[in-house]
This record gives sequence, structure tokens and C-alpha cells, in this order.
Amino acid sequence: MTIRVLIADDQMMVRQGFTVLLNAEPGIEVVGQAVDGVDALEKAAELAPDVVLMDIRMPRLGGIDATRRLTAAPGATVRVLVLTTFDLDEYVYEALRSGASGFLLKDASAAELAQAVRVVAAGDALLAPNITKRLIAEFSRVSRGPRPPGRERVGALTERETEVLSLIAQGLSNAETAVRLVVAEQTVKTHVSRILVKLGLRDRTQAAVFAYESGLVRPAGY
Amino acid sequence: MPKLSAMTGVGVRVRGVLRGLPRMLREDLWTAPVDPVPPVGAPGSPVWRPAFGMLLLLGATLVAVWHVPDLVPRGAAVPEYAVLLVVCQALALLAGMWQPLYAWWASLGLMAVSVRIAESAMTPGELFPWTGPEMALQGGALFLLALRVHPRRAVLALGLSLLAGLVSSAFTTQAHHYSLDVGAPVVITAVGTGAALRALKVARSQLVVQSGLTEEERSRRTLLEERNRIARELHDVVAHHMSVISIQAQVAPHLVEAPSDELRENLAGIWENAVEALAELRRVLGVLRSEDAVADGVRHAPQPSLDSLGELIGTVRRAGVGVTAKTTGTPRPLAPGVGLSAYRIVQEALSNVMRHAPGARARVEVGYHSAAVTVRVTNTAPEAPAPRAGGVGHGLLGMRERTAMLGGDLIHGRTPGGGYEVLATLPLEGPA
Repeated sequence: MTIRVLIADDQMMVRQGFTVLLNAEPGIEVVGQAVDGVDALEKAAELAPDVVLMDIRMPRLGGIDATRRLTAAPGATVRVLVLTTFDLDEYVYEALRSGASGFLLKDASAAELAQAVRVVAAGDALLAPNITKRLIAEFSRVSRGPRPPGRERVGALTERETEVLSLIAQGLSNAETAVRLVVAEQTVKTHVSRILVKLGLRDRTQAAVFAYESGLVRPAGY
Repeated sequence: MPKLSAMTGVGVRVRGVLRGLPRMLREDLWTAPVDPVPPVGAPGSPVWRPAFGMLLLLGATLVAVWHVPDLVPRGAAVPEYAVLLVVCQALALLAGMWQPLYAWWASLGLMAVSVRIAESAMTPGELFPWTGPEMALQGGALFLLALRVHPRRAVLALGLSLLAGLVSSAFTTQAHHYSLDVGAPVVITAVGTGAALRALKVARSQLVVQSGLTEEERSRRTLLEERNRIARELHDVVAHHMSVISIQAQVAPHLVEAPSDELRENLAGIWENAVEALAELRRVLGVLRSEDAVADGVRHAPQPSLDSLGELIGTVRRAGVGVTAKTTGTPRPLAPGVGLSAYRIVQEALSNVMRHAPGARARVEVGYHSAAVTVRVTNTAPEAPAPRAGGVGHGLLGMRERTAMLGGDLIHGRTPGGGYEVLATLPLEGPA
């Protein structure tokens, strides 16, 4: 199945460049380009892409706000991969909090770009687990923004699901989680999808954000 | 024989003090620095000084006249030398306004002379060695001295004055009504008052120096903040260009059919260099980043250029300022650094209008010339006088820095109508 991608960036060179790079990859097709956040929302509604590559700094509507609106729409299944020139931690964290599934620097290699699109589309792994984990942990500690009402929702999980969630938040893959809990990988997959459904989350990245922000997982060393 | 050696020790010390005495007197009470007084009219000159001088002249004259009868036996004619002496004493007191040290020495010497002259002529009931006028003259000289020299030296002079009084009392031809118990409190009070006033003045001038330093510190910090902000924005622009280069380097091989290995290698090299440069840039930006970068509400928007001027003017209009804009010449794409700086200069100038010229109308003119782009922001006179902002104009500082960085010129100042004008000329070529 082809992964359908929408590229939102205010620079034409960037849009065209990513289009060429991604179209050269098997199984990935760029279906559209948007020049700013507003355009991205319209094009996403029209083209129903699987993944949106989203620049953060765009005129009219910035990438973070566009991501928030895209992912907050009821029934939205689109996943957002945020592209930045700067790996400013708070940018990336804001992106993750606003519902993005991953982030990537614009100067990433073509292979990294394709891999990121695939990981985000599949939703079964954390992108750059170490960095993501560190960031979420760091920022959920110091975040001053309103926190999602987490505690009650954690209560909806079974003990085993809570255990799986905390392992996801630590960046473990399904296979690693299976080994840790001494169960089959398929069982872990089932648990993960139940967790996502129960918590109303999009993917593992958002599950990890949730786990840290609800206080289920305490950042190590604090 | 510890006792003897102790006495020898004291003797040595006393001798040492005595040997050091002339030097100490010379250094402390002859060549010692005297606080300068700025001439009348100069900044920092005390406004009360001329008035004080007049009062002192009057007082010295009165004291001199009052002093004359002390010097002659009752009922006798006034000899010329007595007149000369009191005139000298009055002049010595007056001279204390300019040369307090020499004046004090003079009045000390004149006191000794006048005591010698008066001593034999005195009736037993009169105060001795210092009559009322003498106390006034000594006290005045010491007061003027204490106003202008270090308190330690003033106290030394006080001691010498008292000592001179004591010594004068020792060589007498008859019994007297000794007055040191009255005179000492008078001169001590004079020195104390003078020293206290001087301490007040010193503290005040230190405060002035301090606040001057603080002001300097503040404007230096403002300048650095501005430079930091400019550097951040420019690095930001460069980083965006760099990332486009990195993408293009990767795209290029896809644009030709069967690219050669050399081409691939070359482009891979460009990509690697761009990625390395970006890593460095990110590090630099990490250093340049400051609190306000995080708090900046517009950080999700790209860096502006003159193309975004319309939006800026719209924003200012919504804030209630009447702005008109005009472009001369043919607009064309500018180097990002120039475009960004031009935009920021207009932005700062308009925000200055809003801050300092309430109710004024503003006019923005952008001129595209062959070798430069000019931005001119003028405003009419404000309807009400603006609240004066403290410190250096933050906005103007930033404009000056930006223009200087590009090798351009910034002119700003009041217009004849009571408004203000800022004109920046930014050359399109970089500084030579």
C-alpha cells in the first residue's frame, strides 16, 4: 500500500526537493503541496493524505497550530511529521504535544526522510526513540502549559496495559516489550492498539507524550 | 632591664614622631590635595557659592571691625598697624574660599601676632587668648578647611589651632580670663560641621558617579542585546538557506538521467558540507538564543522581509495609528539580510511613533535605487507630549546597528513641524 504524503512548506525549493526525494522512494507518493498552514488544512481535507510533512515556521498559520487543528479533527487519521531547520527542543516538544507523530531536521538524508515517513505512517515505533524520550521527559517536567486530564484515563487501562504503556514511553519496540514481559509480540501489538483506543491516542509517540504528562512514567534522574 | 628598654622604645617612638612631624605637616597641611570647586557657571558648580561668598565678605568685615578694639587699650587712638592686622585677618578668612590650607596657616599666624599685640592691652575680664572675633576668625578658617580636605587633615589642623591657643596662653604678662573652654567647642563645632557637609557632598558625588556607571552599563547591555538579536536573525536566515542547499544537493542527482559517479560524489560532498555547516550554525544559534527568543510570539513565522511590510502597516493601523505607505522605484528581491533589516527598521520606527508620538500620523516610504534601498519613516507632531522614556532609545540603537552592519547610513532627528524622521540607506552591495 502506498503511503500518501502532503508536503507543507513556504519555500518552493523545499517542497519541490522533498517531492522529488520521496517520489523516488518505493511505496511513497507525494500527493500534494501546501504553501502555508491554512493551505495545509485545506489540502489535507481534500486529499486525505496518510502523512503530512509540516514545516514549523510558515506565514498565515504556523506548522504547530496547523498540526494541532489537523490532529484534533474528529476521526482524523492523518499523521504529522514535523520538519524543522532548528532542533530547538521546545519547538519539537511543542510539535509533539500538538499531536505530531515525529520530527525531522530538514537537512536529513533522503534515506532518513523516507524511513521517517514509513515509521510515522506505520505508527508502531517511536521516531528516534532516545531523543524523543529525552525531550518528552524533559519538557513534561518543566511544561507550564495546561496538562491533559490524564490520571482518570490511566485508570481505564488494565495493569498489563499500563505496564506496556510505560515501556513504550521508554522507547521500547514491540519486540523488545515482548521480551521484557515474556509474552508474544502479537500480544504486545494487541495491548498497544487497546491502549491507543482506550486513551483516544493516535500512535506510540502520542502514547509516550501521554505517559510522561500524566505522570505514569517519571523521567529518570529527577 | 625591660623597663629601661621600654622607655628607650617610647623615646625612639617619640623621636620618630618628632622627626616625622615636619614632613607630616607639609604633606597633610601644605601640599595636600584640596577638593576642587568648579568655577561659577560650570556644571557641578554649587549655586549657593556666590551668595556664600558675599555673606562671608560681610561677616569678615564685621568681625574685623568688631576685632579692632581688642587690639588697643580702651580709649586710645587706633594705630595703623591694628587696622592692617584686622584687614589681613579678614582677607585670610576670605581667601579660605579658594585656598583653605594656606588661608588657615595665615589666620593661625595672624592670630598669634594679634594675641601678642593684644595681650598687654587687655583688661583682666576679657577672654584670652581668643576673644569673640578671634574665635570667629579661627572657626571660620577651620570650617572652610574642613569643607575641602580629608577629615583627618581637618582634625590635625584643629589640633594645631588649639595647640597654638595653649602656647599663646603660656606667654603672658598678666592673669587673664582664659577662654579655651569656650573657644575649643566653637572651633570643634566648626570643623565638625564642615566635615559633615563635606561627607554629604562626597556621598552625593559618588551617587552621581554610580548612577552614571549604571546608565552606561545599561546602554552597553542594550547595545549587546540588539547585536545579539540581529546576529540571531541573520544566522537564522543563513540556516534556512543552508537547509535548502542540503535538500537541493540531494535532489540534483534525481534530475538527470544516469548521473555520473563524479556528479554523485560532488553532490554528496555539497550535502555533507551543508549538513556540517548547519550543525555549526545550530551551535552558534544555541549560544545566541536568549529568553526573548523563546517568549517571542512570532517564532512560528518565517523571518520577515520588505514583502511583509503590508501586514506590518496593517497591524499598526489596527492599533490606531494613521499610516500611509509609498514605494518608489521598481521593487525587486533583496538579499535576505537587507530585506530583514529594512523591515526591522520600519518596524522599530513605527513602534517609536506609537510610543513617543501619541496621535501622530506616520508615513513610510520605501525607495528602490540602483545601488541602495532607502526606508524613510516620518511622523507629524504628536497631539500630546509623550511620556519621556528613560534610558537610551532602544529602537534607534537597533536601527543604527543594523544600518552600520550593512555599511549604510542612518539619519534621524526632529522635523521643523515638530515631528520626527528616520531615514536609513542600505546599500545593496555589502560593506566594502
